[in-house]
Amino acid sequence: MLKAHTHSTPALLLCAFRPFFLFTALGGTLAMAAWALFLGGHIALPTLPAGPIAWHGHEMVFGFGLAAVAGFALTAVPEFTSTRAVATRIVAALASLWLIARAGFLIGGVFGAWLAALAETLLVAGLIGALAPRIWRDPDRRHLSFLWALLAMLVTVVGYHFDTLIEGGGGARWLHAATGVLMVLMVVAMSRISMRIVNAALEDRGEKDVAYLSRPPRRNLATFCIALYTALEFLQPASAISGWVALAAAAAMFNLTNDWHVGGALFRRWVAMLYTVYWLMAIGYGLIGLALLADLGTLSGGRHVLTVGAMGLGIFVIMNIAGRVHAGVEPDEKPWVPLVALALVTAALTRATVGWLEPTLSLFLPAALWILGFAVYFAHAWPVMSRQRSDGQSGCAGLPES
Amino acid sequence: MKNISRWLAGLPAYLWSGWGAIASLLLMLAAWEWASGLYGELILPDPRSAASTLMQMLASGAAWPELQVTARRALSGFVLALAAGSALGMAAGVSMTASMMSRPIVTVLIGTPPIAWLVLALLWFGAGDGTPVFTVFIAAFPVIFVGAMQGARTLDGQLRELARTLRMPATMRFTDLYLPHMLSYLFPAWITALGISWKVVVMAELLASSDGVGAALAVTRSHLDTPATLAWIMAIVSLLLAVEYLVLEPIKREVERWRAAA
Repeated sequence: MLKAHTHSTPALLLCAFRPFFLFTALGGTLAMAAWALFLGGHIALPTLPAGPIAWHGHEMVFGFGLAAVAGFALTAVPEFTSTRAVATRIVAALASLWLIARAGFLIGGVFGAWLAALAETLLVAGLIGALAPRIWRDPDRRHLSFLWALLAMLVTVVGYHFDTLIEGGGGARWLHAATGVLMVLMVVAMSRISMRIVNAALEDRGEKDVAYLSRPPRRNLATFCIALYTALEFLQPASAISGWVALAAAAAMFNLTNDWHVGGALFRRWVAMLYTVYWLMAIGYGLIGLALLADLGTLSGGRHVLTVGAMGLGIFVIMNIAGRVHAGVEPDEKPWVPLVALALVTAALTRATVGWLEPTLSLFLPAALWILGFAVYFAHAWPVMSRQRSDGQSGCAGLPES
Repeated sequence: MKNISRWLAGLPAYLWSGWGAIASLLLMLAAWEWASGLYGELILPDPRSAASTLMQMLASGAAWPELQVTARRALSGFVLALAAGSALGMAAGVSMTASMMSRPIVTVLIGTPPIAWLVLALLWFGAGDGTPVFTVFIAAFPVIFVGAMQGARTLDGQLRELARTLRMPATMRFTDLYLPHMLSYLFPAWITALGISWKVVVMAELLASSDGVGAALAVTRSHLDTPATLAWIMAIVSLLLAVEYLVLEPIKREVERWRAAA
């Protein structure tokens, strides 16, 4: 019975990460390509009430970022809470909402913007509706932080569309707030993933004396600083107070790396890549702080180290791990993975030089590296995600514990 | 040699663990910035103007002599208190009678406000180094004394018995039994006393000296120069943080290593 049911499910809908991770890679690639072509004067972007910069910001944060969040949360939360996988029809409905939102931003105009607003709001609300009961019913409610982050995400989505459609604003404040929410979400998500990845690497190396523990106090300090910065940035954009808090967030992120200094295991690819995400967050917030307090560099440079660097690399790594383990395949050990990671880091750091270096280097090179990176990911992910599982397992089941 | 190389190997990790403290301090600066926006530049200049004033004072060379004088006084008083407090405290802790007798005296010493000692010191020592050094000594002494006394009192009687039964040589008994235990009490007391020394020396100089950071603060006060006042405060607090986190804390960790191993 179960078997028959499994085979009647299309491969792309077997588990929530399948459509959403493919959307992430495809959406990230296409939206960035459109932006680069627009910057180069080759195409016009769909006209939106809030203008082209809002189009780019929206597509990267609520298109690319939100797809990854949906894919990760819908796959991981049932696993963390030991509950059944999210039903296929719900996954299909949420995935359709994501596509409708993209269509809205492709059509443009007031109608397109309203369509996207409606679809995105329903998408995040649907995510919360599907996951909140599981998080809440978990005996110790250990994963409540996911719920708060998703609720915050809903607020930013509604805020963004309200601002751009009704208030006539540019929506930038809401996009920055959503970036902050994504950063908190990544710190929380990575703390769960890293425990497995780092300890597996330690075990692999036969190091029995050291154990990696993602310690809550350090993580809480980091999420507190990021949340405080996000709130201040929202209430008092570009203020000196938020500059100090941004520097505090940078220091708190560096503080978080202390947990990771466990010797040679740090240089294993998955560990090293996750670790680099923390560094990129620290550098991003550090640059924002310096821009606000000392006029060194630009705010936009710092923000893009957070989005292109921390968010881009973090999502790439998580997709590579969760997107394969839950399809019954070991994470890919081929060289393209670290090469793409390197491309994303380079993209983030070169993007930070905007205003210092010429646009070819500070805008187009990062865009090209980003497009290349996620296109390569898509090419490798498609064969895994578009086929039925070959290990006899169903749905989202992970790899058997070795 | 082995100890030193191990200490050096642990140094980067120790320094890197300081990021948490830096994050907290930066949050404090954010609160300062907020308060400065609330009350205005005249009442409370923001952290950056205080820092740039301090940088100017350091670059022009005006700040160094004052900082040197203050550091000399604070450290002299502190070292005297450390020597006398540790020795006398341990001595008092060894005997029940002595600790009983000394307790009320220590309470009197702790209870007397440093400013009262300062007035007495001014009468006794005049306006030279003696006044701040004495005030620092008398403020820091009881704290160290109590720590040393507690350490000596709480020495595990059974362990001592065991050491005697096993006929442990006296030097071994001292280095492996008494010293680690004593240091775990003395170190926190020393660190607290150092903090007190820095605070008290500035106060003593403000009222009694013509040089040092305290005296410089008196001048900035009379000029209503809030940025310079905050710059001096920043200088003295930074020095305290540097001494505590770069010197005392690493030593403390090293001597307390036995606890983690136990």
